[in-house]
Amino acid sequence: MPYKDIAKELIILMGFAVIAAFTINYFSPNGIALFGQWDTSQGVITAKPKNDPVADSFEIKDANTAKEIYDSGKAVFVDARSYEAFIDGHIKNAVSIPTNQFFEFIDSFKTKYPLTIPVITYCSGRECNDSHELAQYLIGEGYANVKVFIDGYQQWERKGYPVEQ
Amino acid sequence: MFIRWLIGITFIYASYHKIVEPAHFAKIIYGYYLFPECIINLTAIILPYLELLSGVALILGIYPRSALLILESMLFIFIVALSINLIRGHNFDCGCFSFGERGYGYSVLGLLVRDVIYFILGLQSLFFNKHRKWCILQSGCILKNI
Repeated sequence: MPYKDIAKELIILMGFAVIAAFTINYFSPNGIALFGQWDTSQGVITAKPKNDPVADSFEIKDANTAKEIYDSGKAVFVDARSYEAFIDGHIKNAVSIPTNQFFEFIDSFKTKYPLTIPVITYCSGRECNDSHELAQYLIGEGYANVKVFIDGYQQWERKGYPVEQ
Repeated sequence: MFIRWLIGITFIYASYHKIVEPAHFAKIIYGYYLFPECIINLTAIILPYLELLSGVALILGIYPRSALLILESMLFIFIVALSINLIRGHNFDCGCFSFGERGYGYSVLGLLVRDVIYFILGLQSLFFNKHRKWCILQSGCILKNI
């Protein structure tokens, strides 16, 4: 077998691919970091792209804190999952704004909730970042007090906190 | 030549959305629950360009046997990864041609069958030991130079 020739060809082809990959990733606005955050015990998973919506400063990292805010009755909880998932079950009294349908839902939300109200977004848990994206969208609309409950609906339900369908 | 072009075009098409949205592709690699955390981003950065460049090389006939060897290796890894997830009943988005919004456009078994067909076609081309048509850099087959 022509091992040497094949090895030479592979080095040339793979070399070009690797150089192109790192160069374009470096300059692309959609480029990602060389190492992401894939440990759910550390927070929401993310590939750390340049326009990363995941920001630690917004995060509520445990269900108990989220429940305290919920019990205070001062904040509105917003479900970032699909509308079908929301219908299947959601935090009691939460409002649905699916992240990928934000602009269809935001007008009615804004008529009901003033920009000063504290908003807590959530999705299914630490393996989704829809709640972070939604938080960024809401901040862009002028909501000043937005937090993300990163453990999401699954953990809330597991804890036996109030849910509804 | 038909098989070369079929595989080449397929992989070029498959690389497009991965190149455009590497962060999303990285999440899909994570979703397989098979790969160590430290290689997820690196794989998401490099793999789409390996697909693209090998696909282009295959169509243009630049070192076609080595381009095929790269793509066949990828297909083999996909087949193994899909099989493991099929056996353990883990649903996931394969991210092969597009990113499903919620779930899985194809059944895992369907994906597996498709990849196996491509793999067998690729093997046939890899061992093709005659002159290849429309090649810029003719190299031969896996067993001998031409």
